[in-house]
Amino acid sequence: MSDGSIKEKNKPHKEWAAELKEQRPYSPCRAACPVNTDVQAYVGLIAQGRYAEALEVIRSVNPIASVCSVICHHPCEQACRRCAVDEPLAVRHLKRFALEKAADYRRNKRRLVKQTRDKKIAIIGSGPSGLTAANDLADLGYGVTIYERHPVLGGMLSSAIPTYRLPRETLQEDIDDIIAKGVEARTNCEIGRDITMNEIIDKHDAILIAVGLSESRALNIPGADVPGVLLAIPFLEDAAFQKKIELGSKVLVIGGGNVAIDVARTAKRLGAGYVEMVCLESAEEMPAWKWEVDEAVEEDIAISHRWGPKAVRRDNGRITGLEVVKVLSVFDSNGRFSPTFDNDTTSFIEADTVIITIGQMTNLSFLEDSQVQVDERGRVVWDPETHMSSLRGVFVSGEVVTGPGSAIQAVASGHRSAMAMHVYLEGHEIEGVLPTYEKEPIAQLPGDVADVIHREPRMKVEHLPPETRCSSFMQFEFGYDEESALKEAGRCRGCGGGAVVDTDKCMACLTCQRICPYGAPLVTSVSEIRSEYCQACGLCAPECPGQAISMVSYDVGEVRSNMSSLVGSVDPKRQEPAVVALICSHHVGIKGFELPDNVRSVPIHCTSRVDIIDLLKAFECGADGVAVVRCPAGACKYKDIETRVSARVRRTKELIHMLGMDAGRIELLQAVSDDGNPYAVVCADFSEKVKQIVLRTGR
Amino acid sequence: MIVGSQKPIDEIWEMVKDFKKILVFGCNTCVAICHAGGDKEAETIATLLRMRASQEGVDMQVDHTSVMRHCEPEYFDPVMDDVKKYDLILSTACGVGVNFLSDRTGIIPVYPGINTSFYGAVPEPGVFEELCAGCGDCILHMTGGICPIARCSKTLMNGPCGGTKEGKCEVSDEMDCAWYLIVERMKMLGTLEKLSEVLPPRDWSTSRDGGPRRVSMEHIRAYEEKEGEKTETAGGKKE
Ligand SMILES: Cc1cc2nc3c(=O)[nH]c(=O)nc-3n(C[C@H](O)[C@H](O)[C@H](O)COP(=O)(O)OP(=O)(O)OC[C@H]3O[C@@H](n4cnc5c(N)ncnc54)[C@H](O)[C@@H]3O)c2cc1C
Ligand code: SF4
Ligand code: SF4
Ligand code: SF4
Repeated sequence: MSDGSIKEKNKPHKEWAAELKEQRPYSPCRAACPVNTDVQAYVGLIAQGRYAEALEVIRSVNPIASVCSVICHHPCEQACRRCAVDEPLAVRHLKRFALEKAADYRRNKRRLVKQTRDKKIAIIGSGPSGLTAANDLADLGYGVTIYERHPVLGGMLSSAIPTYRLPRETLQEDIDDIIAKGVEARTNCEIGRDITMNEIIDKHDAILIAVGLSESRALNIPGADVPGVLLAIPFLEDAAFQKKIELGSKVLVIGGGNVAIDVARTAKRLGAGYVEMVCLESAEEMPAWKWEVDEAVEEDIAISHRWGPKAVRRDNGRITGLEVVKVLSVFDSNGRFSPTFDNDTTSFIEADTVIITIGQMTNLSFLEDSQVQVDERGRVVWDPETHMSSLRGVFVSGEVVTGPGSAIQAVASGHRSAMAMHVYLEGHEIEGVLPTYEKEPIAQLPGDVADVIHREPRMKVEHLPPETRCSSFMQFEFGYDEESALKEAGRCRGCGGGAVVDTDKCMACLTCQRICPYGAPLVTSVSEIRSEYCQACGLCAPECPGQAISMVSYDVGEVRSNMSSLVGSVDPKRQEPAVVALICSHHVGIKGFELPDNVRSVPIHCTSRVDIIDLLKAFECGADGVAVVRCPAGACKYKDIETRVSARVRRTKELIHMLGMDAGRIELLQAVSDDGNPYAVVCADFSEKVKQIVLRTGR
Repeated sequence: MIVGSQKPIDEIWEMVKDFKKILVFGCNTCVAICHAGGDKEAETIATLLRMRASQEGVDMQVDHTSVMRHCEPEYFDPVMDDVKKYDLILSTACGVGVNFLSDRTGIIPVYPGINTSFYGAVPEPGVFEELCAGCGDCILHMTGGICPIARCSKTLMNGPCGGTKEGKCEVSDEMDCAWYLIVERMKMLGTLEKLSEVLPPRDWSTSRDGGPRRVSMEHIRAYEEKEGEKTETAGGKKE
């Protein structure tokens, strides 16, 4: 305190909140995300129109954010606490929206990262896990080279996942970020064919094997080894690289997983008239995600459940179909995959092409002459604690060691391995320092809280109609427009972003306990705000007489300390009054942000967070008038906030009146409806009133 | 707890207007609970003073801070060095706090930001009621737990007076008659006959009439001395 004054000694809100969040249970969405993306934080930023900041939150943990925004299996949504109310938040669609909105910001930020370390790193394989490791290691200042056997980077993302789900331009955004950092990419370079593993080992200080599961498993049944029978991965690769594929008119896909669905839908787009899937599992047991199955069914893909393949039948070498046998059960009593069949019940499915999609495996032949050990079952020997293989300095990550999973899981593995390599190169012990991403989530919504939460249906995204989408590989899913995205973001309950008490300041006055509409605070010797109850409305914080309550996300304190920059400089010769509008950023819709020129908008999470001091502060910073603008009647996503907010505005009127100012300089406004631009209308009216007051009473 | 209410800003302004560097110093116990002088109200007053200064074209620095209690030195010891960098301390603690702090700030004046009113309870949020007058010689066992000294307008020891009307006091319709309450309560307790005994005149020397009061507990003081070695205190480390 060099100037001899008492000022806030706290850290900037962001840092403080980030530290605090680490110590507390995570929101369930965040805990469920394999890289712990702070969903609650970025969704909240989207709701406030702060897209670039949302992008930063996402990108801080996920280098393939654009990819995930279109193909992630979104475990965050499955875990969303809103499921207890109506439907989960559309987290993936919101991510896509934020990334699209902040695309220019992102491109402008791409920079070469200076190589500050003289260690050279090789990464074999450019799938999500290799790319992630390259990204992290480049950030740390290492010289990184990726070796990829395919002509393009991306692993399965570029060579197998069909473009109707993942357009290559989307993938390219992520790759461009990483390459811009100075990562060298050597494509068309297969280790074991173009360069030996030993050469790679000689030339680098650390090596990462991230080769994924690049080969399809074949099926050992009669007739499955001659032309007309295809394997999933080569088939998808050929489709991805636009090679010519001979398909009959009746394609039969063996398998019931997500890859099988992609194969079937690809076959359809390549012109197969009739596509059918046959799988061991019942509809409920099928491993494919339900939404993918639904989309396939929409595209007229037939699915035969509970049949096992027995033999591919041929006539003069030409395939006629598949003989199948009835499945009795797929899993044993321990839930392990162990199918049993009723050999007496068989059937025949006509087909002229059969594509086998029953799983993938890795190809580790390139390790043969090296000292990297492969076990008797063909798996690379590694230590999951350190990501190291049997040879010091050679690390492994991604599906080659974890087995099949999702892209974002491969990203998590990539982060861990990059950290492991860094720690190794620094000469430290790796054990115990790698991030686990296993965090305890906040408990589910208590029933009595779920009961009082406003029902709001999830915003849907449009799909190309099945008739059109099957005729090309065009992306079939559309993104949100701004209006829908803001609406959807407003549905988030901000789990874990709510109130926390600084127990040093709490005097157990009971105010928060009395005021909370959801029964979250429990005051004993100090207040404890139970995060599973808290809905992050913020109603309590401005009421606490000890200012002991902060909101983890977008704290009111943040608004207060930024107020002078928010108000900006006020022209002393101004014609129109300088009006500050603290607007509810949920439900405002994009139009809500478009206010008359003389109105400075301060988006806030909910007007319940507005404090008397914030309002005074706006005047102190030079505002002629201050408006608190609520969302339209019935739209508020919180409960019972009206009385408190209007009481605060009334009290502020009293206070400014004591200073000789006209009480009409502050008002609580409410947008009339969601249509048109009601926020602008009410703000313009208010601005006119303030203008009259200023004319009458002076500044 | 002690209940107070904020002074009007004009009155405060008159007190502080000639100072250049002012600290509004809140107390986070009783007066915070009654929303008069905790950290939040201290910041509110500081903001209002800055606004007023700018209206008046006066160059003035106004900051705020607060501690848990102003009536025990350990609480404000840790911030005392910073507090002493101001020209004026506007304390929003109760009068106890203002006095207590004022004794410790040397040449820096400590002014009151609130009017300290009474000891009260909080029957409902935002409402505070005087229930005890701190007379130093409690008789609540004889009056059904209702204090005639604090709650009877005339401090009658043997009431009610003729001004009682339908349970209300003649001073105001808004005010309950304490003696009416006493009678009703004692009826309920079955101890009404106790009231036939006339309470003798009181010795007010235990109250304000005996001069400033002081309680000294020898057993606690002895303990404090023994524990004098301890460094941890409520407000932080002792020097
Ligand atoms: C058809 C399909 C659809 C999928 N859909 C989804 C989805 O919707 N959502 C989702 O989250 N996940 C999906 N996945 C899973 C996801 O693609 C994988 O989890 C992820 O790609 C695994 O990443 P990885 O880095 O471990 O390996 P990979 O992505 O497999 O990358 C390994 C790379 O190493 C290269 N390579 C192998 N050997 C060598 C060598 N000797 N020399 C040089 N390079 C070599 C390969 O060419 C490949 O590019 C899908 C997978 C497939 C196959
Ligand atoms: S409501 Fe929001 S914060 Fe809560 S789990 Fe769902 S997405 Fe996460
Ligand atoms: S309102 Fe503030 S001081 Fe009062 S109990 Fe809650 S946290 Fe503690
Ligand atoms: S009032 Fe709102 S922010 Fe405060 S504890 Fe209750 S739900 Fe959480």
